[in-house]
Amino acid sequence: MIFRAVEDADLIRKACRGDVEAYNLLISRWERRVYNYLLRIVANREDALDLSQDVFLKAYQNLRKLDDPARFAPWLYRIAHNEAYSLFRKRRPEGETEELQPETLEGAATLGGNAVFPVELTLAVSSALRKLTADQRETVILKIYQGFKFEEIAEIVAAPVSTVKSRLYTALDLLKTELAPVKTPTKARGVS
Amino acid sequence: MSCSPFDLRDYYFKDLAENDRRLTEVHVKTCAHCREELDRLRGTETALLALPDEEIPQRIGFVSDPVFQPSAFRRGWDALWGSAARLGFVSAAMLSAALVVFSLTRPVPPSSAPAPAITQTALQAKIEADFSNRLDDAVAKAVAASEARQSSKTQELLAASDRHHALETQAMMVRVQEYLDVEKKHLNTLILASNDAHSASGEVR
Repeated sequence: MIFRAVEDADLIRKACRGDVEAYNLLISRWERRVYNYLLRIVANREDALDLSQDVFLKAYQNLRKLDDPARFAPWLYRIAHNEAYSLFRKRRPEGETEELQPETLEGAATLGGNAVFPVELTLAVSSALRKLTADQRETVILKIYQGFKFEEIAEIVAAPVSTVKSRLYTALDLLKTELAPVKTPTKARGVS
Repeated sequence: MSCSPFDLRDYYFKDLAENDRRLTEVHVKTCAHCREELDRLRGTETALLALPDEEIPQRIGFVSDPVFQPSAFRRGWDALWGSAARLGFVSAAMLSAALVVFSLTRPVPPSSAPAPAITQTALQAKIEADFSNRLDDAVAKAVAASEARQSSKTQELLAASDRHHALETQAMMVRVQEYLDVEKKHLNTLILASNDAHSASGEVR
């Protein structure tokens, strides 16, 4: 983990000096995670891909502003968060004051398809996630799927740690109720 | 409602201090209700993780474009400040150059013997030698002054003696002259008397 962090820091330094190949290597390490984070927020593959490209372009243009290469991940996700919320704002109808919601639901039906997890469970999880507010959903994604610490999530969403915890715990209470009737597999990925 | 001393969710997400975590762990081992609560949390997370990651449909990559590349000056500047080793090497090189320039331009100081290590004995010997030298100098000066004074006095005495001797000689010469004058007068008188006597005897005959 430390070795990987050092390697990323080297790539960032090279990219700062204009080494595009080093930056492409850095992208290859992070594109899948960033894409899935955005996909779960916007629930649209095309938007998620477009946003991912924008995120990495903006990151490259602002890479020299990153003081500590060890903070690359939260910094990159902060850009992704801003890009996703910019899209939400652009597409929100005039005068609407409701909480931001993903634009389409098509992703929910097509996500998964993995043999390890039953389709019913995948659908149930997608449905349960849709019932959360945008803030709660993003916090769950960053903690459960992306494995960030509370302090890092606070940095990404620009909110206090206490707010982040409150959002996550409220979301988990809701998800617990929603997913209680669903039988989960006994073997799954560990805690992040 | 949890009866745990600390929030079970903080415990589950490893966000408790070490001591608090240990206390909660001990409690969970003895509390079936909290164990059940933890199991529910774990089950919820496991269910959420059933939603797998997708592969990105198209790889993201950039080509080298001068528009996005920093200027040559900027690259050089970043290269200098971006590497501690390089910065250190440049600093050392500048320091070396400064030392060389300084050594070439400054005036050559007179060669001096390296300062000996100062010890107690050496210090004492140095003080004694210094004192002895100063004493010798003072004695030499005093002797020289005394000799000078003595020589001056002798000269004065000699001069006085010479003057006295000259005066005495002159006085004696005056007395001798006077004596000679008296004797001369006496002789003249005798001659005159003799002449008178001789002439008287001639007349008698």
